[in-house]
Amino acid sequence: MYRYDEFDQGFVRDRVAQFRDQVSRRLSGELDEAHFKPLRLQNGVYLQLHAYMLRVAIPYGQLSSVQLRTLADIADKYDKGYGHFTTRQNIQYNWIALKDIPDVLEQLATVEMHAIQTSGNCIRNVTSDQFAGAAADEIEDPRPWCEILRQWSMVHPEFAALPRKFKIAVTAAEHDRAAVRVHDIGLHMKKNAAGEIGFEVIVGGGLGRTPYIGVTIKDWVSQAELLDYLEAIMRVYNLHGRRDNKYKARIKILVNELTPEEFTRQVEAEYAAQRDHEKIALPQDEIDRIAAYFAPPAFETLPETSAAFEEAKAKDEAFAIWAEMNLQPHKVPGYTSVTISLKPLGIAPGDATSDQMRVMADIAKAYSFDDIRVTHIQNLVLAHVKLDDLYNVFLALDDAGLGAANVDHGSDLICCPGLDYCNLANARSIPVAMDIQNMLAPRDKELGKLHINISGCINACGHHHVGHIGILGVDKKGEEFYQITFGGRADEKATIGDIAGPGLKQEDVTPALARVVDRYMALRKSPDDAFIDVLEREGHDPFKEALYAAD
Amino acid sequence: MSSVRPKLKPAIPKVVTGWNTQTGRTVYLTAQEDWSEDIADAAVFTGDAADHALTFAEEDQTRVNDPYVTEVDENGQIAGREVLRETIRAKGPTIHPDLGKQAGNA
Ligand code: SF4
Repeated sequence: MYRYDEFDQGFVRDRVAQFRDQVSRRLSGELDEAHFKPLRLQNGVYLQLHAYMLRVAIPYGQLSSVQLRTLADIADKYDKGYGHFTTRQNIQYNWIALKDIPDVLEQLATVEMHAIQTSGNCIRNVTSDQFAGAAADEIEDPRPWCEILRQWSMVHPEFAALPRKFKIAVTAAEHDRAAVRVHDIGLHMKKNAAGEIGFEVIVGGGLGRTPYIGVTIKDWVSQAELLDYLEAIMRVYNLHGRRDNKYKARIKILVNELTPEEFTRQVEAEYAAQRDHEKIALPQDEIDRIAAYFAPPAFETLPETSAAFEEAKAKDEAFAIWAEMNLQPHKVPGYTSVTISLKPLGIAPGDATSDQMRVMADIAKAYSFDDIRVTHIQNLVLAHVKLDDLYNVFLALDDAGLGAANVDHGSDLICCPGLDYCNLANARSIPVAMDIQNMLAPRDKELGKLHINISGCINACGHHHVGHIGILGVDKKGEEFYQITFGGRADEKATIGDIAGPGLKQEDVTPALARVVDRYMALRKSPDDAFIDVLEREGHDPFKEALYAAD
Repeated sequence: MSSVRPKLKPAIPKVVTGWNTQTGRTVYLTAQEDWSEDIADAAVFTGDAADHALTFAEEDQTRVNDPYVTEVDENGQIAGREVLRETIRAKGPTIHPDLGKQAGNA
């Protein structure tokens, strides 16, 4: 993984010292909240329902065991012994005191971490495929590009005060696991006709109040040109993005108000107007220098299959089910990537205790070349595990309450913090999620792949628009209601779901979804006929009918 | 945006609430112009007194952040449209009875 050089280290430490001073001035009254708020937000500090919340950046979701252990220590010392992994591949602490935050940031800096780019109208922490560098189906490791983008975007003076926040995601596999089509800019690495690897540039995707699927404004941009092309996009946005109305300020609105064709024309004009001396024209040796940080670990030469793995599956059914659900094909024979589900029953989706974090850190150190990823589905991943070691890994995880077998299935739902924590929420999302999980977990294997996404307000942190089933909490005269959408998806066929009809009361949501999955079972032609495929084939009507079929 | 809450008519009883500047914990203005983490200690205001209390709170920057008024009934119990939100603020997350003020470990 990327390691800080002396400039990075110095920069992060200076920022901690600066913020320490700002906090002390806030606490002494020298700074009032109105002046302090933009400063704290630049350091990932929000004010939520119960306390300050600190959002720590996990660049493209990658963590070492030392970093994860430090996150656990912070949870114990300054919070309440747990943390929440988010759909932005970050971690949030819910109970942090402002007076402690400079110490927390200082501790994070010792392990090359910080909370910059987790808030404010800047280019936020870049996200990626959680299996980057490991996935059998990728054409290249996208992480060096995430790191290049991080270095380019972090405190970029021209883009520090954009009309609104700005999110970039990168993927390098045909099957998009990074939801690049619902980001402000999505970069999909692909080959051109000459076989060179570059980027399809997708702009103007996003969820929230006005959801849009991004549009491809350029089929292929070369690696050397990427940053200059992105600068052209950012300039058009920075100049013309609306600053008069927060709800119309995201690039998706600009792209659609101008029309994608006109937006593209302006970007191309801006790009053509860049003079040579202004261009970054990323040199190959710089690309190689960054890529070297992501060199593959020392994989052993192993057979495709493992007798130990097969034997363990034959004797332990729980392990066999987990192995069927939670593994991802690896590019190196004899290895696999393991998704650790943070969606066991009875726990807020995405939460992990400090003890669990330490267990996962130890396992990563022992079995996964010290490489842990956070997914935008709010799970963790052990990137490179030998098939031979899987049973030991499973037993250790299961022992820590981390053995849930449900990845990509109904009970592996995405869920934002909602009204239990979030100051912007209209309704709770966690209890709704937990109730649905209780109903679906016993049926996960039978039902197959199913994405359910829940948000507690229209800001859509829980990505409800792109769930196969989406659930949005709304407030109707002080009562929580839940609006259901069908047919959303976040992958390479990204689609915004359609609202099914009137909202449901909280207690009606789970029974209604039970009827919906029953209808799916009645309509599917085989176990391989997935929920989303049946929905797309049969149309939404049979599912709507089931949703509202209560007697 | 945080703390942009519904407007309340003057006659409606209210308490003033916000967040402790140092810790971020939910706090309520007391009759002694102090701040308590326990809503039972909150002073109940109506009419001009509520406006004055809010002005005092807004100026009390070293002790409280983003104060606002929220509705209660005549006994000081949380009431009105925002019952659920304000109950969660007063007690803690509904899915974590072990955390927050409800558990005595705010
Ligand atoms: S979707 Fe709304 S309720 Fe959920 S975390 Fe985002 S802002 Fe809060």
